Amino acid sequence: MHAFIKVQLVFRTSLTLLAGILFATSYAADTIRIAATTTMVADLARSVAGDRAEVSGLMGPGVDPHLYKATAPDINTLQSADVIFYNGLHLEGRLADILVKLGRRNKPVYAVTESIPEEKLLEQAEFEGHYDPHVWFDPRLWAHCIETVVNALAEIDPDHADGYRQRGAATEQAYQNHYQWGIDYLATIPEKQRVLITSHDAYNYFGRAFDFRVIGVQGISTQSEAGLADMVKIIEFIKKNDIKAIFVESSVSPAAIQRISEASDCAIGGELFSDAMGLPGHIETAANGDSFDVGTYEGMVKANISTIADALR
Amino acid sequence: MREHFFPDFDWHTVFVQPWAEYGDNSFWIVLMGFLVSGTCGLVGCFVILRRMALVGDAISHSLLPGITIAFLLTNSRDTLPMMLGAIAAGITTVVLIEAIRHSSRIKPDAAIGIVFSSLFAIGIILISVFADKIDLDAECVLYGELGFIPLQDIAMLGGVEIGPEPVIRMAIIAVIAIGLLIAFFKEMLVTSFDPGLAASLGINPTRYQYGLTLFLSVVIVSSFESVGVVLVIAMIIFPGATALLITDRLPKAIWLSILFSLLYAVLGFHLATWLEASIAGGMTVIAGFIFGLVWMAAPKRGLLTKLVKRSFKRETTSP
Repeated sequence: MHAFIKVQLVFRTSLTLLAGILFATSYAADTIRIAATTTMVADLARSVAGDRAEVSGLMGPGVDPHLYKATAPDINTLQSADVIFYNGLHLEGRLADILVKLGRRNKPVYAVTESIPEEKLLEQAEFEGHYDPHVWFDPRLWAHCIETVVNALAEIDPDHADGYRQRGAATEQAYQNHYQWGIDYLATIPEKQRVLITSHDAYNYFGRAFDFRVIGVQGISTQSEAGLADMVKIIEFIKKNDIKAIFVESSVSPAAIQRISEASDCAIGGELFSDAMGLPGHIETAANGDSFDVGTYEGMVKANISTIADALR
Repeated sequence: MREHFFPDFDWHTVFVQPWAEYGDNSFWIVLMGFLVSGTCGLVGCFVILRRMALVGDAISHSLLPGITIAFLLTNSRDTLPMMLGAIAAGITTVVLIEAIRHSSRIKPDAAIGIVFSSLFAIGIILISVFADKIDLDAECVLYGELGFIPLQDIAMLGGVEIGPEPVIRMAIIAVIAIGLLIAFFKEMLVTSFDPGLAASLGINPTRYQYGLTLFLSVVIVSSFESVGVVLVIAMIIFPGATALLITDRLPKAIWLSILFSLLYAVLGFHLATWLEASIAGGMTVIAGFIFGLVWMAAPKRGLLTKLVKRSFKRETTSP
């Protein structure tokens, strides 16, 4: 008897749940489902889509795109998405191959960086056609990516195309403002201190945008380690130029930077966001009183800039 | 901090929904998991007997110089050149391991250690000298992801869709493995247990040793490319090791290892669905769990069985 009731109970809950899921999907059918890879791409898609879409990001806050492992629900997210956005420029590695394959099967898939003019990308000197993927550190460059998202959404959902264009323009304005905020905030840093020394080579676009010399202790690949000779060179450079601070990154081991900091008597200026944004809802405040949520693109950019500026000033 | 460490267990979302709503995806993922564990386990039964169980781990490191040289030659990070470089490195690895153990007193485990660490180091040096500014590691240019198998290109046969390409490729490798096993079973059996006897029967143990490890290196690299590294390293060891705890007879061990592979694939998939975690990780955790159970409770040499036997003996011998 008991067993029968249990079976019935299971059966009933399953039916209710099934109905709930069916209801949820039919309810959500009015909006578009967007899947995005990194937190930066998800934030960009959210800004352009507004309340017209539900954006699911595959990689959570603080996840290094190299170390991302797909979970069982991720694949359903990708398959049921109406459109997929990813960074491109080889940031996602093999995942990008899969997305391109999906694109060939009539699923709208876009690399947001494809609307950045090629001459604005940094190419690796010896290797033609391999670009530095960390474009989001220059808000003006990241603003170019809005075009891809706006056009894609306007094509999928033409009835609301005007809304996407308006929000796209507003987002672009916001990104330009972030850039200006950064220029102003960093203005007080003396020329001699405009050196950014970090764990890996992720900040070249940042350096170009905000006029910093950038030195990465490791190469781009996570497989390479800091060479001893390079470390000695950096330590001498720090001593000679009296650099005030060097920086660790949220997704790379701080060991090499700590050793350099000890050997050169140079402070560690703080932790910078590199390949992912921070936890949503975590509010930080800059020295000038502006506060921002590090779980957003704006917060990530401003947190990095204020960390750098406050340590080097 | 999350309030609940584990998501709530719900029978429907864990066991019913994956098949009712995403049946196609679930089928291909579980089938692929089974094919990889089954094939690796099949070869693994022999590999373990020859003390080469860590060869999967070794190859996962030693393929770094292979992909680096392939990149320097082609200036491309596409899968095909990376795959060819990795296969070349895999073959070099096993040939060197065999050469060292056959021509010196060094045991297989040490030979594996010597070969993979030197090749890995060569890879690191190649990268820091020639390709420091390029993101080049196996994780991002070679390793696939079991969860994304259903999204891969669909293989066609005579205009009919038969399934995702990697699954079909793995199925072909599995069939080849079974064919080789049937054709050379006697030779493999004798050379695994008693190389001396094999030699006196006119079977050249060295030749089979090379044959097995070469085949293994191809299986390993192509599985890396389609499902990633964790599952492959684990499945060379787990099905065979668990089966060999239960039985001494190789044919029975092979059947058991296939049965275990099926259990890993199905239970692991549902575990990963429940925890919203990596599917290959789920399958490997199940493999570890089942190994633990068998280790404790195997009929002949399980820990519990031994304890029971010992206390039984004491009772009967004491007055």
